[in-house]
Amino acid sequence: MKLLTHNMLTSHVRGVRPGGGFPLRIQATEVKVNNVDFNQEFVARMIPKVEWGALVEAAESLGHLSDLPHELPPEYENNEDFLRKVHHVLLEVEVMEGILKCPDSGREFPITKGIPNMLLSEEET
Amino acid sequence: MDSTGQNNLKRNKSEKKLLRKQIKARNTLMRHEGIECVSHTTQNLVVANGGLGNGVNRHQLLRLVEECGLVEALLMPPNKPYSVVKYGSTEEAKKAYDTLNGKEITLEDSDQNVTLYVNFVEKVHWEDIIPISLPPGLMMVEELVSPEEEQKMLESIDWTENEVIQNAQKSLKHRRVKHFGYEFRYDNNNVDKDKPLPGGLPEICSMLLEKCLKQGYIKHKPDQLTINQYEPGQGIPPHIDTHSAFEDEIISLSLGAEIVMDFKHPDGRTVAVMLPERSLLVMTGESRYLWTHGITPRKFDIVHASERQKVGSVTPDVGDLTLNRRGTRTSFTFRKVRRSPCNCTYPSVCDSQQGRQREEAPSFHDSETEASKLEQEYVHKVYEEIATHFSSTRHSPWPQIVEFLRTLPKGSMVADVGCGNGKYLGINKDLYMIGCDHSQNLVDICGEKKFQAFVCDALSVPVRNSSCDACISIAVIHHFSTAERRLAAVRELARLLRPGGKALIYVWAMEQEYNKQKSKYLKEKRASKGKEEEINTDVAWGLFCDQMHDNGSQDSACSDRVLNDSKDKGGNAKQVINSKLPVHTNRTSFHSQDVLVPWHLKGGTNKKGECVKALQLPAGSKELQEFSPVFHRYYHVFCEGELEAACKTLDCIRIQKSYYDQGNWCVVLEKQ
Repeated sequence: MKLLTHNMLTSHVRGVRPGGGFPLRIQATEVKVNNVDFNQEFVARMIPKVEWGALVEAAESLGHLSDLPHELPPEYENNEDFLRKVHHVLLEVEVMEGILKCPDSGREFPITKGIPNMLLSEEET
Repeated sequence: MDSTGQNNLKRNKSEKKLLRKQIKARNTLMRHEGIECVSHTTQNLVVANGGLGNGVNRHQLLRLVEECGLVEALLMPPNKPYSVVKYGSTEEAKKAYDTLNGKEITLEDSDQNVTLYVNFVEKVHWEDIIPISLPPGLMMVEELVSPEEEQKMLESIDWTENEVIQNAQKSLKHRRVKHFGYEFRYDNNNVDKDKPLPGGLPEICSMLLEKCLKQGYIKHKPDQLTINQYEPGQGIPPHIDTHSAFEDEIISLSLGAEIVMDFKHPDGRTVAVMLPERSLLVMTGESRYLWTHGITPRKFDIVHASERQKVGSVTPDVGDLTLNRRGTRTSFTFRKVRRSPCNCTYPSVCDSQQGRQREEAPSFHDSETEASKLEQEYVHKVYEEIATHFSSTRHSPWPQIVEFLRTLPKGSMVADVGCGNGKYLGINKDLYMIGCDHSQNLVDICGEKKFQAFVCDALSVPVRNSSCDACISIAVIHHFSTAERRLAAVRELARLLRPGGKALIYVWAMEQEYNKQKSKYLKEKRASKGKEEEINTDVAWGLFCDQMHDNGSQDSACSDRVLNDSKDKGGNAKQVINSKLPVHTNRTSFHSQDVLVPWHLKGGTNKKGECVKALQLPAGSKELQEFSPVFHRYYHVFCEGELEAACKTLDCIRIQKSYYDQGNWCVVLEKQ
């Protein structure tokens, strides 16, 4: 599970207050770092779709924040340096084993071989 | 080797192939139909691939079999891909065996080729035919109008009125519809009683209605008329005419062509009724209030071959059935608008007495829990068990879906809901695609391919609102067993989309033949592309192949397989198959919208601890794996227009495009 993917995921347990299921807290037992080809335009287009605060929080919890700023700098589209850092965090850091935890309900979703299992039981939906 | 030797070798090869196929046919008949073939000559032959179910009509087969001797009986069971011939003597039967076994014929009605495989059988017992009575309250009047009157009535219809709607209907290949007296509304299946249409009923109908009143076919003069025109291949889903909308008597005049209409009782009984040209169908009482009626969208009906009983129910007399190609049928249905609530004696299907509008006939189950349980048993469990095999047959991406993905802007966030083995996740490297599926085993395969994916339910996708630029959901929604759940799945997709975002949905179509083009699922596969010879080439015996939707995979995976059989060991045949759901015969047209479709597993299940024994037959014959288990998957196949109608009920999306692709109904939706 890459951090870009994590940024899209939210808990959908019944009873969680609106917005209360995001972002899921990561407890990782295995993190992998890959090399992914850098595509500046791609990264620049992804940024508006990302919840920046959640991304920073997640990266930090994995110890992979590097020197990513806590605030989005203005006019980042041509800031290659910055974009490379974003690229790294979004696409090169992968949680292979661990747990995603709903911040509101505490429900835990396991991650195995990079795959989160977000299936809820009958009672939870 | 000299040329004679080479010829001998060639002959032996083709002889061997024929023998293989013949044996395969024997085994299939045994496992599927309980028909035991024998090696000694008898008077009876079973002709595989020579059945109504695979498009062979009685006329054609009779000609062929009569050439070989005196035919005492030709039995053609409806919807089966085989027939049984009884000859006057064993000698004649032997002659037929030698002549017909391995014979390739061209189907009269479709120009397709099939190869017949013949085996001897002992006595084949058919039940005595009890004529099936019509649903109570149903009556047929033949030749109500003369051919001249018929012509006049057909010509009087002005289809050019209201061109916008007509064009829309045309492009969607809908049956054409016109209303008089009162507008019938398809969104609530009721009539706008306060807004009568100007002009009333057409003048040309008044004489006809007078006749009906005088003859006592109806007691009250109707004030509403709906004209429906059905081209071959078009139909109307099973329904009961809304109780609160219309009075008891409903009469329908069939013009232009005959057709078979299917009536179904809530307890599952079905009656096929032949409506001849120029006949009047009168529905009252139980047939009007309790039984559903519908017309299956197909190009052929199964009818009686003999002249007797040209009107009335089509009884399953296998000695007298054949295929009847449809023509264009126009119906004039006259009804009287109801002014007071319905007080019929069938409250379970009455919207007046239920206190709310019912749009469809009672579905075969009602509660959410039942729906969920059915899907658990006949969708989720099955995919978990067949995941590996299933994935191996899903490797050819469909061009129009690829096109959809390729035209998305670079840097788009795309969700594939029901991604299966991740077939589409890697198509366009300029997109960020995340896949999700209910099956852990299938999603694991995505992970192995280094795709981003997770496990979840399509009705509750754990992704933020409005976070996706696009979604695709291919061959997923047809696994939901109620209309509400199918709609909920579409709603979820809409929720994921940002405004302006697009969703592409594919669902399996009931109509497997469209615009004279058979879908790949139905088409026969020729042994070609350098694959092994034993590849099954025949349409019906592609009954082995349930790898629909994936053309390229069929050749290799399609080899010898057994048909579904409740006597089968393994699979979920152990479970009581939901008795209200018909089991579909693969590679044939659909006869019902809710079906169980068999999957013949090859290579063992994914479940640990279960062992699938494969019995290897003698070397040289890559024949059946005797104990390959069969799994049944639930599908609700969609009728033309059904997916669109469902999408139209959502305000947040509009339909951008709607089309038919290789046996699927497809829509592109845009989030508003």
